[in-house]
Amino acid sequence: MDKLIEEQRLTKRELRQIWYRWGFTHLSSMSYEKLQAHAWAFSYIPFAEKYYKNDPEAKRRLLVRHSMFYNTEPQTGQIINGIVASMEEEIALGKNVPEELPVNIKATLMGPLAGIGDSLIQGIIVPILLSIAMGMAAGGNAIGPIFYILAYGILGPLISYLSFHYGYKLGVNAIDNIIGDNVKRITDAFNILGIMVVGGLAAGNIVLNSTLEIPMGESIRSLQSVLDGIFPKILPLSMVLLAWWLVSAKQMTATKVILILTAITTVGVVIGVF
Amino acid sequence: METTLFIPALLTGIFCYLGAIESPWLFGMSGGFYIMGRPLVAGLLVGLAFGDVQAGVLCGLAVQAVFIANLSTGGATNSEITYADYGGIGLALATTKEPAVAVTLSVLLGQTFGLIFYNTRMALYSFWNNKAQHAAETNNTRGIVLNHLFYPQITTFLLRAVPVFLAIYYGSGLVEWLLANVPEVITKIISVLGGVLPALGIAMLMNIVIKSKIQLIFFFAGFVLLAFAGLSMIALVFISALVAYLYFIASNKSAATPIKETNSSNSDVFEDEDLF
Repeated sequence: MDKLIEEQRLTKRELRQIWYRWGFTHLSSMSYEKLQAHAWAFSYIPFAEKYYKNDPEAKRRLLVRHSMFYNTEPQTGQIINGIVASMEEEIALGKNVPEELPVNIKATLMGPLAGIGDSLIQGIIVPILLSIAMGMAAGGNAIGPIFYILAYGILGPLISYLSFHYGYKLGVNAIDNIIGDNVKRITDAFNILGIMVVGGLAAGNIVLNSTLEIPMGESIRSLQSVLDGIFPKILPLSMVLLAWWLVSAKQMTATKVILILTAITTVGVVIGVF
Repeated sequence: METTLFIPALLTGIFCYLGAIESPWLFGMSGGFYIMGRPLVAGLLVGLAFGDVQAGVLCGLAVQAVFIANLSTGGATNSEITYADYGGIGLALATTKEPAVAVTLSVLLGQTFGLIFYNTRMALYSFWNNKAQHAAETNNTRGIVLNHLFYPQITTFLLRAVPVFLAIYYGSGLVEWLLANVPEVITKIISVLGGVLPALGIAMLMNIVIKSKIQLIFFFAGFVLLAFAGLSMIALVFISALVAYLYFIASNKSAATPIKETNSSNSDVFEDEDLF
């Protein structure tokens, strides 16, 4: 009996199929309403054909529970796809795993993993690789973009692949492993790394200089050189702090913040400050 | 002129579709949004399409600086980066090939047409989503494939490749006229705005990573290491890794080898966060 069940497990090829079906199409029908929802149902179609060929009702339940709103960072988030794949396999093999469990796992983990994944990918890896590539591209050298294409082209899919298989291995025990105490320390530490890198990004990429000239005793100095003497890049810093305050404390949408930044810039240019 | 522009404009339109966040062809976001969507890469590709790689990369480099912190969280975005990249760099290469022109056009297109098209598409996709939901409820796997992949991709191809192609093919004359006639103060405003806009993307990143106000100290530390000490990003990564590792060690309250006799001083430091 046990041997029979072992033979029915997902093969390596079928697992990889679930991985790449999500990997390619996670956002291909994204709307604000459902985001990555239907990519799940799409990635489980071969799975449904394998296990529920003669049980249309169970197949329907599988497809419906994987058509619910879902949103996470799709590369690091593959860890959830791995966990759910192992659970769905248990369910399909008739083990004692309730059908609500994959749904609950998705709902519980997608938020925390989006936070970790976004700060890791969008906050650390992509900006750093781009900073390096931009240095290499100086003067119009094609080696810069080629470096970035290769570097992220390897890293992105690799993160996705490793996350999926790690999640599949964790399986049902995942919750303890992912939101346990030790993992929180690691993600907090990564978070600090992210915050410092973001601080560096702010210093390196926002450009705002004052063109105002002010009289200093007998000579006329530019306001910018005075500011640089006190606190270099104070204007970019104040802009990013303003934008952050608007986004976090005031809960403003990106579009509103853009309008405010545009208004400040316009006024500044017109009265001759910038 | 008209015939020589046709192929590069068409290619740029197709690139704009392939680099889109919802495009599946290059392993989803990994090869699409995060690689082809980046202005630096767009500069190279558009440069190849127009037969001038150096000018393309220079335009891409300038635009990339503005969009360094472009991001997408929960479908919300601070700027539609692919319309900005391919529209802006494409139009610049079709006209003056100046990086400053590419930046101006990218900022303009990303904030206006880009976001309008993006939000239109997001709304249209709700229609396909409903059909995909219905397909799942009726056990119709073919319906899921059609409404998750096939129809949405046709929709987005029409909304990306076609407008960008038309904008470059027919718009280059308009852009040349605009560049000659727009008052200087407007171009000045847009160029200053290009320097300020990264502040929004970075603010959105801060919103993700900063959990309590006391953590701003790490942000300032990163800022001054570049602004005052003049370090490069790579040097900053190593220093940040050190700080993160020290935090990791220090936060281990249940460690078997206590550094101090009591844990109280340790936990006090971190409980301060609650005061803010």
